[in-house]
Amino acid sequence: MSALIAESQPVVNVSSQTRVLAVIVAILFLALILDLVRRRKLQERYTVVWFLAGLALLVLAVVPGVLGWLAERAGISDTNAALFSITLVVAGLLLLNLTVVVSKQAEQITRLSQELAILRSRGEEEEEPADEERVPAP
Amino acid sequence: MGDRGHAEVLLFIPAFNEAETVADVVRAVRAELPEANVLVVSDGSTDGTAHRAHQAGASVASLPFNLGIGAAIQTGYLYALRHGYRFCAHLDADGQHRPEDVRRLLDAVREGRCDLAIGSRYKTPSTDELVAGEGSSHYVPTFLRRMGTALFRQMLSFVTRHRFTDTTSGLRAANRQAIELFASEYAGDYPELESLHSLVRNGLTFEEIPVVMLPRAGGRSKFNPINSAFFIFKGLLVLFVGVLRRREASGPGSGSGP
Repeated sequence: MSALIAESQPVVNVSSQTRVLAVIVAILFLALILDLVRRRKLQERYTVVWFLAGLALLVLAVVPGVLGWLAERAGISDTNAALFSITLVVAGLLLLNLTVVVSKQAEQITRLSQELAILRSRGEEEEEPADEERVPAP
Repeated sequence: MGDRGHAEVLLFIPAFNEAETVADVVRAVRAELPEANVLVVSDGSTDGTAHRAHQAGASVASLPFNLGIGAAIQTGYLYALRHGYRFCAHLDADGQHRPEDVRRLLDAVREGRCDLAIGSRYKTPSTDELVAGEGSSHYVPTFLRRMGTALFRQMLSFVTRHRFTDTTSGLRAANRQAIELFASEYAGDYPELESLHSLVRNGLTFEEIPVVMLPRAGGRSKFNPINSAFFIFKGLLVLFVGVLRRREASGPGSGSGP
């Protein structure tokens, strides 16, 4: 039914050539993610969002009706413009996700540095503070 | 601790490139409070701050890189927690706080009057607290700073429903309960404000004690208009998020309570 709606409207459809290309890109993308995990360059916990993005790309490429339906729903007459908009939103969400990860790591680094400073101070009460700042004699 | 005895009070001084003044501050507080151990938290200093502090007789905890004042202060609280101190106090490394004020703040927590004592530059001393010939009038903040602190004072007082006169004070004394709280949460982007908010949220008590601010003994203030604006933005965000957190916390709790 969604396909019917898309066809009945003056929607600029994505050409079959583009669709084939998109399917290939999506499959290569998913393969790349799997390969990165295999080579331990990417931790499993961070692959979920990327997998979802890759699968979404694949679905949009294989079933053009979905993209037409989304474009229709968003009131965008040009399917290509809809594609770009969706891509932009997804990219933004992925970036936000990255910032969340970075924030968490920053917190962990802070705590590690504090623990290190405390541990180091304990062994040094009788020695010189082994700081990065070794002063040259004035 | 070992040969340093079992002191129950830790005084710590967060310092970022304060080599000019830190040794004098360490000597001054050691003279005023000989019963306490003194720790300088060097926040990634590169000018010999740790060295000078050590020579002046303080223990030194050096952070491997600059983490900001909140994380530096939290390091002090964490140190106090790990080494089993019952009380701690911290003051700035630039010599703006008087050692005798540190003692008065510590007395407030040692006598059990509050969990956290805050040195306030703006609270007017009552007559018995007023030292002859001295008042809080030594410290004259810049216009921008006065505006900022006034704004935060109002907002924090509104959010917590407690009256604060000085929300950005770097002179505080804490008992064990406050040490435990601040060791676990202090390193936010606006630590002074956030910590007061979480203190009230966790049901701890505080008391503001009027103190005298001296002019800086050396070094430079790390404030300029741009980071002040950023500071104000962060402050507003912290308070706003703090209000949301409180609602979130009290919502399910009030419903499922026995």
